Amino acid sequence: MPSLSDPANPKRRRLVQASAALWGGMLVGVEMSANAARLVGAAQTKPDAGAVELTAWVRITPEREVALVVSQAELGQGISTTLPAILADELGADWADVRLLTAPLRQEYRHPKYQWMFTGNSESIQSFYDVMRNMGAAAREMLTLAACQTWRADVADCRTENSYVRHVPTERRIHFADLAGAAALLPVPQAPILRPAAELRLIGRPLPRVDVPDKVSGRAVFGIDFAVPGMLVAAVRTVPAIGAQVTSFDATAAKAMPGVRAVLPLPNGVAVVAQRYWQAARALATIRIDFAQTEASRSADSAVIEAGYARVMNDGPWAPVLAEGVFAGKPAFEAIYASPFAAHATMEPMNCVASVTAERCEVWAPTQGQDLAALALQYALGMAPERISVNRTPYIGGGFGRRLLPDFVVQAALISKAVGAPVKLMWDREEDMRRDFYRPASALRLVAHTDGHGLPTAVLAQLISPTILLPVFPPIQKTLDEKGFDPSALEGLLELPYKVAGRRVEFHLPKLSVPTSVMRTTGYGPNLFALESFIDELAHRAHRDPLAMRRQLLAHDPHALHVLDRLAVLSRWAQPLTKGYARGLAFANAFGTLIGMVAEVHVKASTVRVMRVTAVADSGQVLDPGIARAGIEGGIVFGMAYCKSEVRFEQGRVLQDNFSTYVMPYLAECPEMVIEFVSSERTLGGVGEVSPVTLPPALANAVFRASGQRVRSMPLSRHGLSFA
Amino acid sequence: MFALNVNGVNRSVDVPDDIPLLWVIREELGLTGTKFGCGVAACGACTVHLDGEAVRSCAYPVSAATGHQITTIEGLSPNADHALQRAWVEHQVPQCGYCQSGMLMSAAALLRAHPRPTDAQIDQAMTNICRCGTHPRVKAAIKRAAQAMGTHRA
Repeated sequence: MPSLSDPANPKRRRLVQASAALWGGMLVGVEMSANAARLVGAAQTKPDAGAVELTAWVRITPEREVALVVSQAELGQGISTTLPAILADELGADWADVRLLTAPLRQEYRHPKYQWMFTGNSESIQSFYDVMRNMGAAAREMLTLAACQTWRADVADCRTENSYVRHVPTERRIHFADLAGAAALLPVPQAPILRPAAELRLIGRPLPRVDVPDKVSGRAVFGIDFAVPGMLVAAVRTVPAIGAQVTSFDATAAKAMPGVRAVLPLPNGVAVVAQRYWQAARALATIRIDFAQTEASRSADSAVIEAGYARVMNDGPWAPVLAEGVFAGKPAFEAIYASPFAAHATMEPMNCVASVTAERCEVWAPTQGQDLAALALQYALGMAPERISVNRTPYIGGGFGRRLLPDFVVQAALISKAVGAPVKLMWDREEDMRRDFYRPASALRLVAHTDGHGLPTAVLAQLISPTILLPVFPPIQKTLDEKGFDPSALEGLLELPYKVAGRRVEFHLPKLSVPTSVMRTTGYGPNLFALESFIDELAHRAHRDPLAMRRQLLAHDPHALHVLDRLAVLSRWAQPLTKGYARGLAFANAFGTLIGMVAEVHVKASTVRVMRVTAVADSGQVLDPGIARAGIEGGIVFGMAYCKSEVRFEQGRVLQDNFSTYVMPYLAECPEMVIEFVSSERTLGGVGEVSPVTLPPALANAVFRASGQRVRSMPLSRHGLSFA
Repeated sequence: MFALNVNGVNRSVDVPDDIPLLWVIREELGLTGTKFGCGVAACGACTVHLDGEAVRSCAYPVSAATGHQITTIEGLSPNADHALQRAWVEHQVPQCGYCQSGMLMSAAALLRAHPRPTDAQIDQAMTNICRCGTHPRVKAAIKRAAQAMGTHRA
């Protein structure tokens, strides 16, 4: 397998070079402070003494436990249960004996296709399912062979179950722990044989999540809770406007305050390092930062950006992305849809523990992107990769894409280096929301040519969106420069599920000073809000039932039809509702999963009450129905958040920088939910991001049918509407 | 110096009087189950009890907490076996889990005031924010716990 330093892996090499260019250039050093603390002690990673490593994924501990490595970050999506369960099932380990280890940055734990360690894009199950099966089977074959050497038996007569190898003819058995030493000496099988489906006991069943007990007792250690000996705490305040420059600040009072160890100038603000966070925050509050607006801060302005989008809608220019089929006659209908900027607003604000000396950099970060963090540290510190360790904290308070980025990790490391002591950097909510890489605002024009029955025969899509991919996947710069489009921003527009003969897709890539990047649903969310609203508008204009019309457009896809048919039943689609109540439908093929959703709403004056949301999903095989269902449920609420709040900018200022202004859905606003998975032989799809894709269009379509008001942009407040 | 009673134990802390109770709990007393979410009492991640009432500790000065019984998630039950914690496990409520200490403390205060809460009472009391969207399970688990506690008492 190619390795970190292996220049023979061109995919990885491109990633490394481009990431270095992007993040290396964006990082500016922290000035050294005279008021530096002293490093007291280095932190130790969890000891694993006496454990036997069978493979990179499987260790047997002296306590006779089966320790499995979790490559993917547990962000709440349940991956730390589902992936190890696949491996344990294949191995024949007793699930009660399984203990989980958070993966360090290491070649084996990288995404098998990209050779890059990250958690995102709903890809964890799809990418690691085969790896888990194979590594479970490999360890099983090693343990079985070791047992057969003891017994002088035939492997064909042996089985593994409940952490034992069993010799079936004689009913003898040996525990994995008593075989591990011998098994570890055997070569790792390169093509192990997988169990037949009938033997699988964990896959396909709802397992209790391994992380739930710690999360209800308060014992779970998140990034904010992580500590190493001798650690100081840093609070930071950066300029309150994107792109503005610090002119001066007066830290005289702050430096004299109790517990304060250092006040450090940052490239765009100031950090206070103290014994306690409350001391740092208190001192920070006394510092007034004077700053100067720049062209970048003046253009980070919602009104300016919206005016720019409007100009492009009129005049272009457009980069061609796709052109096929015939556009005959005149367009029948055209509409423009818009999605706003949104903040990730993870419940746990960005934070990171870093310990940097002249020789080593070790960080403990609640991160989704270990490889990118390591690379950014390498360039920020000018340190060789082998001197850098990026550890992931075991629990992470939400990610949604934000924690793929390394900015907060690098900031922590630079502060630690400056003060010469381990430091925990903690952003407050305002810092977290002002220094986000937002889900970009986008605008999409759709133009349809239709046949005599109102069905679209050709569709033109013109999309304006700043980049999504660049900060997390810097090699995409080449595509942005040469082709003028961002593939992630186009998601859902190139591969329409519907049969439409004529297709044209064009793109405009504005360069904004507002930083933008991936956020749960990436391009699918905004694009399918537009597309599914548009299909609904076409159906309305043709006096067609929206579900019946979609059935007709999906006649070539039996899986899609099955989803829609189940949805019709479960949502009581055909059952009439009283005035003010209505149902709206959306369908998507996103992240490898087919999903149909019906939102039932009650619109009364300016309030929208979401009564009931029905979702039917086909993600191929469902590996854990309980966890998958929770993902769909949570995603419905996440989708409602996109309909409820937006982030706006004024001269670089972020107008929504806390939950008092960026208002999220409350329990009282949450609907009844009906969720069903239909399993099929389709390949595995992701379930973490599909329901927030379909919720906004299903809701907008329901609002139209209930009130006659067509919502072509979110959030609802732009139309005088709010949730009840 | 402030004398505080936290989870039944008397503690004294030497901090300025306007420091939010949250940071005293987390940093001076080392109880990290209570989380920081917003600093302006808008999200509820920092919810603790003062004499059984839910309080958002991120915006509550330590000086106002003296003379009261303070309870954090660590003190909600001896073995994480409060009816709500059991119901939370049964319904597999948490996702990322960061808001859940606050959710549980808000729910515990609700059940203390209303042992058999109506939907409207749950809606009104549970204004904690959860970005993962665990709200439907929070609601179901509160009802389950209320039912279990009622059975237990009967």
